[in-house]
Amino acid sequence: MKKVISIILIAVLFIACKKESKKADDMEKQTEIAIETPFLAMAEFDTKAGDYVNKEVKIQGIVDHVCKHSGKKLLVVTDDGSVHITSDTRFEDSLTGSEIVLTGIVLEERIDEAYCLKMEEDNIKSHSEGASSQEQFEKKKKHIQQYRDQMKEENKDYLSNYSLQYVSHIEVE
Amino acid sequence: MKQLRKWSRILHRDIGYFFIGTTIVYGLSGIALNHMSDWNPNYSVKVTHFTTSINLEKTASIKNNILLLLDEVDHRNNYKKHYYPNADNIKIFLKGGSSIMVNVNNGNGIAEYLKRRPVFYEVNFLHYNPNRIWTWFSDAFSASLILFAVTSFFMVKGKKGIIGRGGVYTLLGIIIPILFLIYFL
Repeated sequence: MKKVISIILIAVLFIACKKESKKADDMEKQTEIAIETPFLAMAEFDTKAGDYVNKEVKIQGIVDHVCKHSGKKLLVVTDDGSVHITSDTRFEDSLTGSEIVLTGIVLEERIDEAYCLKMEEDNIKSHSEGASSQEQFEKKKKHIQQYRDQMKEENKDYLSNYSLQYVSHIEVE
Repeated sequence: MKQLRKWSRILHRDIGYFFIGTTIVYGLSGIALNHMSDWNPNYSVKVTHFTTSINLEKTASIKNNILLLLDEVDHRNNYKKHYYPNADNIKIFLKGGSSIMVNVNNGNGIAEYLKRRPVFYEVNFLHYNPNRIWTWFSDAFSASLILFAVTSFFMVKGKKGIIGRGGVYTLLGIIIPILFLIYFL
């Protein structure tokens, strides 16, 4: 009986120590992540995201919208700007209106002349097939022209659109 | 062959009974989600227009002013968050996914109240694989659909079976998706 109690005690002690060291490891990792992951203010996201392409960053904002079709896209907003988030998993609808700190990987989408031509082609095709109204057609046409004007204005071959690939989030009060 | 027919019927019937509920879940949610561009399958949306004289500009008392507005158009306890999408408008988020947008210059506002659609909300939730256990269960359901297709070959003999009318239906059911692929892929 004594032997059994001793074995149980040793086992409990061993598990407790293991858990404690795991906790310590986790905390160390979290601290490491907290130190390493840069925080981008929404107002500076568009200008600074280019420095962090394919790297993790944190942002803080309110979830304005969860995509009703896929459930895998979010629009995070503040008074100063907005960021689109894409994810491999679905978000809960209840996240809408919550303030979150979100960690994600910066993605860059380049808009160049080839992109504009493709957009133009798709716009004409969907309008001719009756999938879009005259108003939607004109709106998209104007949008494409805006891209071209901006490229000309900035004397660039392409424009960069930045978004985040979702990694994790926590809700804040 | 007799044994095969017998077991095909038993499996088709008994597994079919077991998955009646799941079939209804996927049938209903399938229709609901197919028409996502025509309606919101999870929520019914009620839009109301209002005008307010409450000052909703970005001031130190904005939170209190928002609560006063909610006393008028909803309930103050439903307040969640707010932000200014542009200089003219404030967007207020309410619990349950509803939201209010107000023009801070003229006080014109639109409230969008969301209400969960009973039955559809629940079946759509399941359709989207909420967790790993449901993934396993729905995989079993999908496998059983294949089993139903295979067992249906052997269930009935004669001219109503696979070598007769059943065969014609089977061919039609295969040709239709192939035609769609030829035309639209």
